[in-house]
Amino acid sequence: MEKEEIAPHVSEISRVLGNKVSEEQIEKELDTYLNLYRVSLETAKRSVVRKLGGDPNALNKGVQKKLSELTGSEQSVDLLVKVLSANRKEIEQNGELRTLIYGLFADETGTMPYTAWDADRFALERGQVLLVRNAYTKEWNGKPQLNLGTRATIEPQPVDSVKLPDGMDVPVYGPTTAKVAELIEGMNSVTLTVKILSVETRKIESQEGSKTFFSGMLADETGRAQFSAWHDFNLKKDDIVQIRGAYVRSWKGIPQLNFGERAEVSRVRSPFPADLDLSKPKIRAITELEAVGGAFDVLVSGVVVDVKKGSGLIQRCPQCNRLVQNKLCRLHGKVEGQYDLRIKAVVDDGAGSITAVLNKDITEALVGITLEQAIKEAREVMDPEVVKEKIEERLLAKPLEVRGNVISDDYGLMMIVSEARMFVPEVRAEAANLLSELEGAQ
Amino acid sequence: MIVREVAWRIFAAEYNSSRLEIKGEGERAPSYIVSPLGAMVNRVFLVGVLTDLENIGTGDEPLWKGRLQDPTGNFYVSSGQYQPEATAALSKMEAPAFIAMVGKTRTYSPEEGVLYVSIRPEKVRLVEARERDHWVLETCKATLKRIDAMTDAKEMSAPTVDELMRLGHSRSLAEGVVKATGHYQDVDLSRYRAMVVDALKFLLPEYQSELESDVPTELGQRPEEVEDEEEAEAAEEEKEDKVLTIITKLDKSGKGAAWDEIVEEVKRLGMDRTVLEEVTNSLLDKGLIYEPVLGRMKRI
Repeated sequence: MEKEEIAPHVSEISRVLGNKVSEEQIEKELDTYLNLYRVSLETAKRSVVRKLGGDPNALNKGVQKKLSELTGSEQSVDLLVKVLSANRKEIEQNGELRTLIYGLFADETGTMPYTAWDADRFALERGQVLLVRNAYTKEWNGKPQLNLGTRATIEPQPVDSVKLPDGMDVPVYGPTTAKVAELIEGMNSVTLTVKILSVETRKIESQEGSKTFFSGMLADETGRAQFSAWHDFNLKKDDIVQIRGAYVRSWKGIPQLNFGERAEVSRVRSPFPADLDLSKPKIRAITELEAVGGAFDVLVSGVVVDVKKGSGLIQRCPQCNRLVQNKLCRLHGKVEGQYDLRIKAVVDDGAGSITAVLNKDITEALVGITLEQAIKEAREVMDPEVVKEKIEERLLAKPLEVRGNVISDDYGLMMIVSEARMFVPEVRAEAANLLSELEGAQ
Repeated sequence: MIVREVAWRIFAAEYNSSRLEIKGEGERAPSYIVSPLGAMVNRVFLVGVLTDLENIGTGDEPLWKGRLQDPTGNFYVSSGQYQPEATAALSKMEAPAFIAMVGKTRTYSPEEGVLYVSIRPEKVRLVEARERDHWVLETCKATLKRIDAMTDAKEMSAPTVDELMRLGHSRSLAEGVVKATGHYQDVDLSRYRAMVVDALKFLLPEYQSELESDVPTELGQRPEEVEDEEEAEAAEEEKEDKVLTIITKLDKSGKGAAWDEIVEEVKRLGMDRTVLEEVTNSLLDKGLIYEPVLGRMKRI
């Protein structure tokens, strides 16, 4: 262990000993235990304190916790984790440039973002398993985040001492080539080749004055995404470019591509077939959407396996548009609700499912009923449920194709539908194709 | 995150062959059955022909039992007072009819190592032949995906979820396949592939004559309730073995053994038609044979 790594522990021991022993002596003792006898840091500290006449129990006992137990208010916590990702970032602090490392830690209970505030002391690397001591947590956007500050230490552990659940392991977050459909929140150093479908110049105001950036839509053969370029790469509509060093952040649940001045943008020859219309939405399997958590304007098809509660004739608050139940708005109390029609349908393709939310216009067209008719029918039988039943009658067990933006919530994937259609599948043609493939393979 | 269980597309023959159940631990943890091809099923979506429907309960406490036939076999369905929506829908239906069903898996294990599976419906709807055909096609595709995943898993000395996902299989399928390979020994994938081929031919008019030649008019009544099988005894098993051997022997074309020929063959062994029907019913139940077309029996 190097001298600067020992320093925080020396001062901690000094504090426990009431500052009666010189730091040089403590350091020498600690150094002997650590580097000559090679005992663990914890044992070394306790032994030094005992040897110098102090109470080892007065040492900071970091409580060891699992990631899922962190609340966001821990002042000192120990963790056994695997480093899923480690990214370096330069920041300016008090006029000084310093490098920090940020990324994701994982243990058997889950993952958590971390920031190590000193890249020199914490040379974190992807795949390492570490005992982290004296870390602290803070809440960021309502979720706990782990920080490794001046008091924190890391001790490498055998790689098999953290067993991650199947599937959760070091992701390919390093420099990676990706297609638009594969973009996931949190990706860094992404390289991709895309066509710029649109671009506009925009301005944001911040403390440092106004900043110009460029946003728009890009696409490849797998799909489309919105982007923000934080540097003027002179992008124009219909440019085919390769972007290196981009990163992905979600905006309202949908992954977006960002690239700043450290990214490289070069014009390339189009890898896309001339007749391919990149501006059209792509059909995506629901499991693919589950893997990335959200997507911009895609098509999904499956069978309607449920029409959820809250479908049909509903009432909304005239002031905030929230759902009114029992004549009560959650925000505005007793209100005179305004009627609306909507469908929350579970579309299932046999491998995954998504909740599709259809607004009044789409519902009217799909079910063949207008809002006025729905109100009339519900009044006749004194039961608004009759409208939901009618929707179920029309949709349940039927194939449905929906188009829209996909986001994730606590119940899985959700699509705000912009277009919906019931379709009659080409069963025979497809069956014949599949059969000849199978028989050809035999 | 409470994510909704996906509705699997699975043929009766594969579903009924499931012998592995994973019970959810804890209050709200879901249970699954794992099919030989690695479908980890909690919920299903089925479309088939409702061939039998009977209320074996009372008017006040109805318990509807039914059978839903697909090109490979039968799903056993039961719906009682705790499935009010499905029970109400079933009470208005009459066999035969094309119906679509969303339902949950249900298991019955009379003894260690024996598992019978059936369906408890959530939603039931009358549909038309074209919905059934669409379901058969989708189920063929889903089955082929599972066969592919199983094929990949067989190439690995110890298949893992990660490795299977790297090959492009979805997480839920990869998890099921790892569990299935750990439980079922030597699943014969070529039989399942042949089952898919037959199901595809079922959809294509040009193969109808091929599949339906020699259809006998009298078809055995299908088995009674799943639960009835718990009394299967050694003598029954012996009969089943004999019939299985005969079906294998007669199935020269690969399209299944014709019913008439099976009847002839077992006569020589002194087994009459009623007994044969019982035995084939039991074999169908156990998923050891299936009916690629009416009037032909084929080993799985």
